[in-house]
Amino acid sequence: MGLTILLLTFGLFVVVGMPVAFAMGIAAATAFWYEGFPMLITFQRATSGVSVFSLLAIPFFVFAGEVMLHGGIAARLVKLAAALVGHLKGGLAMVNIFSSMLFGGISGSAVADISALGSLLIPVMKERGYRPDFAVNVTVTSSIAGIVIPPSHNMIIFAVAAGGGISVSKLFLAGVIPGMLMCFCLAVAAYALSIKHKYPAEPFPGWGEVGRSAADAIPGFITAVIIVGGTLSGVFTVTESGAFGAIYALVLTKFYYRSLTWDAFVLAVTGAVRTTSMVMILIAFASSFAYLLALYQVPAKLSDLLVSVSDNPIIILLMINLILLVLGMIMDMAALILICTPIFLPIAKGLGMDPTQFGIMMLVNLGLGLCTPPVGTCLFVGCAVGKIKIEEALKSIWPFYLAILFALILVTYVPAVSLWLPSVLD
Amino acid sequence: MVGQSSKIATLETAVDMVRAACIFIASIALVVLISTFGWLVFGRYVLNATPTWVEQLALLLICYIAFLGAAAGVKENTHLGVSLFRDAMPENVQKILMIAIDLILAAFGGVMLFAGVTLMQFGWGTLLPMLDIPESFRTLAITSCGGLILLFSGLRGVLRILSFSDWHTVHKDLDI
Repeated sequence: MGLTILLLTFGLFVVVGMPVAFAMGIAAATAFWYEGFPMLITFQRATSGVSVFSLLAIPFFVFAGEVMLHGGIAARLVKLAAALVGHLKGGLAMVNIFSSMLFGGISGSAVADISALGSLLIPVMKERGYRPDFAVNVTVTSSIAGIVIPPSHNMIIFAVAAGGGISVSKLFLAGVIPGMLMCFCLAVAAYALSIKHKYPAEPFPGWGEVGRSAADAIPGFITAVIIVGGTLSGVFTVTESGAFGAIYALVLTKFYYRSLTWDAFVLAVTGAVRTTSMVMILIAFASSFAYLLALYQVPAKLSDLLVSVSDNPIIILLMINLILLVLGMIMDMAALILICTPIFLPIAKGLGMDPTQFGIMMLVNLGLGLCTPPVGTCLFVGCAVGKIKIEEALKSIWPFYLAILFALILVTYVPAVSLWLPSVLD
Repeated sequence: MVGQSSKIATLETAVDMVRAACIFIASIALVVLISTFGWLVFGRYVLNATPTWVEQLALLLICYIAFLGAAAGVKENTHLGVSLFRDAMPENVQKILMIAIDLILAAFGGVMLFAGVTLMQFGWGTLLPMLDIPESFRTLAITSCGGLILLFSGLRGVLRILSFSDWHTVHKDLDI
């Protein structure tokens, strides 16, 4: 009965539009009250859920991403990508995807990616004769590479939701190939569509220009090198790497690129506060919510249910992916990582799946959810930046969905896609 | 009627100043967090003298960033939520649901405030390690968050009731 109250209260409040974090908090408080526990536990757990050392990396990653967004790094990356891949068929689409891979690797945020790259590339693509829906779809779907390519604050959220025991550095390494794979699949789809629609290739600017663009963009990359390299080498903890990376980004954009104004700095700080608090309040109340899910043995019950449908790991993983895809269509990523990890991770472990592989699978899957209606943050931001209607974008987005689904299938069923790099370098 | 509108406008301005203050304090906390953590990294790896208080201060500051930012997020309507089912309802049903959410959230803020005060009372005798200040300073963040949510959400709910026919759900908020 307690579980029913927990889930019904949560479901009801989410359906009527209550913010997910507070729906979790209210549901947890109600269930604690029903079970005769003091409601105080909800808030005690919320406070202790936020006061976790490894979570301190989140504001640092988010701040570094905001500084990169407002500090003019995106234009340099686009210039480099244009020099490298602009001469291919559908050149600007390739530039868009390649830039996302580079920028996502630095900022770790899909929305920052769309805001920064979309506002630069979508107008140029339209001007060069690309269909607006194509330009938006390339921007939106490629942005989710940043969620998987390290550093990514969503990986920290996953590691925390998994209850510890999962190495963030292993997650960082595990995300590299899936992120590049996603970009490759998207590039294939974009290339095929470019041939169909006869989109142009840009002239190759020459190796001198490639060298100059690289020299200009490389200092920006060092942010990612500091965060990822510092963590992987074991020299810094992930939190220390994040702090160092954030300060480096600040110094770089202020004193080297000289593109960070006071207003841009204020925007970066307040943007980071808003994003961090939005994620942290989710983590706070998810901490109480997940405690009750464990108390009611939800993972074990759901595992029994899934096994009763099929004991074939391929089918069970397919079902988990379908559930995540459906949930991803209506809920945002951070909330779903926090809610679904304690439920599905034990099931995946029971099937013999590596928790790191599961984490990457979940991030790719929920990343796709950010691009799907009815609730798709990236899709909405992309359409707003590209000034087109969502229906218009949806008409031609299917090849890109299929490309990501193909990558998701490989990540799910081929462990080496995510685990090979950690096994070689760890 | 005009007098009432001007009172509401004054109230809106005051409440917006409180929201701005939340973002300002949380922003200062973030800048201090980044600066002190930078100092920690420098101290640990360059000076070979780790400032051990930094980690405890960081765990305190993150509470203020999280909870004050979250309270401001209630006022700004920036929290992640699912509105598609509600948006499919007729306008008046949507309005009633939005008012209900405001009031329930305000009540939850009230419970959070009450629980926070109780937690602060419990924690007054316990000191935070390295900082030597009462544990209550950590729970003050969630207590403030509760009070602010009660203020932001409760006031919005009441104003929405008072001006039920004057606002539209497509705007999502009443600018308060």
